Amino acid sequence: MKCSSSYVNLIHEYLDGDLTKENEQLLKQHLQECDACQEHFKQLKRTIAFVQSTSHIDTPMNFTANIMAGLPKEKSAVRMNR
Amino acid sequence: MELLLKRKIKKVKKGDQDAFADIVEYHKDKLYQLCYRMLGNREEAQDAAQEAFIRAYVNIHSYDSSKKFSTWLYRIATNLCIDKIRKKKPDYYLDAEVAGTEGLNMYSQIAADQALPEDELERGELQDLIQSEILKLPEKYRTVIVLKYIDELSLKEISEILELPIGTVKTRIHRGREALRNRLRHL
Repeated sequence: MKCSSSYVNLIHEYLDGDLTKENEQLLKQHLQECDACQEHFKQLKRTIAFVQSTSHIDTPMNFTANIMAGLPKEKSAVRMNR
Repeated sequence: MELLLKRKIKKVKKGDQDAFADIVEYHKDKLYQLCYRMLGNREEAQDAAQEAFIRAYVNIHSYDSSKKFSTWLYRIATNLCIDKIRKKKPDYYLDAEVAGTEGLNMYSQIAADQALPEDELERGELQDLIQSEILKLPEKYRTVIVLKYIDELSLKEISEILELPIGTVKTRIHRGREALRNRLRHL
């Protein structure tokens, strides 16, 4: 059985931390009664966990030095005032 | 930290290049991460992140110091990445937009139904799979998903970076999450 999409919207609001206490109660109750929405909710939470689990990629060596080397030359007056 | 950054930016505005190196050091990891997840390979990510910093330097006078510097910097980098994505966009037919979905294509609606055998899903392969699914998202969904879940920014910050109403950002996050769910739910 397919539920009205309003419950899916509530799930997304919940995931964004936007759900009012009242609607949270409504959603909780519905999830206990509806396997399809319960499954949908679980899949979304797993999806988020997957995306968050992608590992940190190291920034290349000499990243800052490369940028500094690529900047237009600064005015000599500044250099002298330092 | 914000205060220290503000001081450094003031120096950069006066023409002091060395102060800019500290600004780069402070932001480089997050910015590189953003570019990598948007573009999917290291060289392009490096080019994009470096270009973003150079543009920030060259245009530092147009930065409004009453606003958060990182928001401005992220905006530059995000726009650069989107430009690059549009330039290399392949036009295979699954990429055609589905009417009424604001940019969702057929591909994002097809579930990955051939579940991979568990033993093939070594950690590295799983990571590759997730990254490739992120890369298959249309760029407007990819951007918000990366900003929210990889750079861990708030909806308010994302809305400021993209200069979009917060409601639009939410809609895109919801659709991006649904598209990814369709592709990853069999794992």
